[in-house]
Amino acid sequence: MSADQAKILADISEMLHAILDDDGTDLQITMDTTFHEELEMESIDLVALAGRLQARYGNSVNFAQFIAALSLDAIIELKVGQLVEYIEASLEAAKADAPATPDPAGAVSK
Amino acid sequence: MSTLAVNGVEIHVQVMEPADGAVWEGPQDPPTFVMIHGLGTDSLASWYFTLAKPFSEAGMRLVMYDLRGHGHSDRPPTGYQLDNFVDDLEGLLAGMGVTSPVHLIGNSFGGTIAFAYALRRPDAVAGIAVIESEPATEAWAKKMAHNLGRAAKQLPREEALNWISANRGRRTARLARAAGKMLSSTTLAQDIPASRVLSEAEISGVACPVLCLYGENSDLVVQAPVMERLLPRVRTVIVPGQHHSILVEMPDFVRELVLTWLREDCAVAASGERG
Repeated sequence: MSADQAKILADISEMLHAILDDDGTDLQITMDTTFHEELEMESIDLVALAGRLQARYGNSVNFAQFIAALSLDAIIELKVGQLVEYIEASLEAAKADAPATPDPAGAVSK
Repeated sequence: MSTLAVNGVEIHVQVMEPADGAVWEGPQDPPTFVMIHGLGTDSLASWYFTLAKPFSEAGMRLVMYDLRGHGHSDRPPTGYQLDNFVDDLEGLLAGMGVTSPVHLIGNSFGGTIAFAYALRRPDAVAGIAVIESEPATEAWAKKMAHNLGRAAKQLPREEALNWISANRGRRTARLARAAGKMLSSTTLAQDIPASRVLSEAEISGVACPVLCLYGENSDLVVQAPVMERLLPRVRTVIVPGQHHSILVEMPDFVRELVLTWLREDCAVAASGERG
């Protein structure tokens, strides 16, 4: 796992603990953790997570496009790592598009 | 997460704008589609993971929200009559600054809300599409009293949940547990059947284009001829082999039907008639 991935994973873990607050998740969240089976997240919780991620990462990452493209079956299989990899790739692409321009929202940290 | 305070209740709403580069191909302006989910274990996720992306790629703007008591919206202990849900829809659109007529799509109870809203605000509704749904009538209220009464009695019981878990799987049991919690912590099961209902004459007053989808094997399929008889501008479709879960089972089929209906039946309303 790259340093970028580790940082994104830490961000997502924090949001997941906030969303799942009263369910007492002592669970260590890893790249292989499944949203549905292990975290017991319903599809609506994933929509809420997408909203938090959008606020955190701004328009460099299009979560609606990624999340809404999943079928209900695909959601059941979805792992945290898939989301981490999508975010990393989107941030890389955004950096490549605009190498000299600082992110106007200040949402992307190095 | 974005929420809006409506009638003292925080309502979870998700707006999806037309996808980048999407061009609406219908003769009217690209519609704003308000998507209304069903009762119990349902939430806006049922739209988000089925029709939202294809509709936004077709050039539509989508408003999805969780009904009070559902999904990530607040759950007040009381206030679950049909008119409360219609108040919420009216308040939500006003709060979002939506002023031009919208199209509504409702699944199950969401369609019941859509019919009631179209009657309350005929000027604000350009068309309604409903899946496995019916307007609130006396017969509807009686059926809801029976179904909700049974669910309210059974779902909080541990033995019932164990049976569901063994026979229908853990996921269904988890949903049933959540529904039981809702029914035991709110007056929903009592309020829905006590809702104000509509006469046939009132239902005939829904003048906008209406699309009704029913599953061939659903008990709601008997509504198709009733809707044909009462509504002036209705198109009914009976989907072979389906029960109540058409949206989740056949999202591509539903998408094509709705897009065709928008282009063919709703175009007239946009260019000619009132509203």
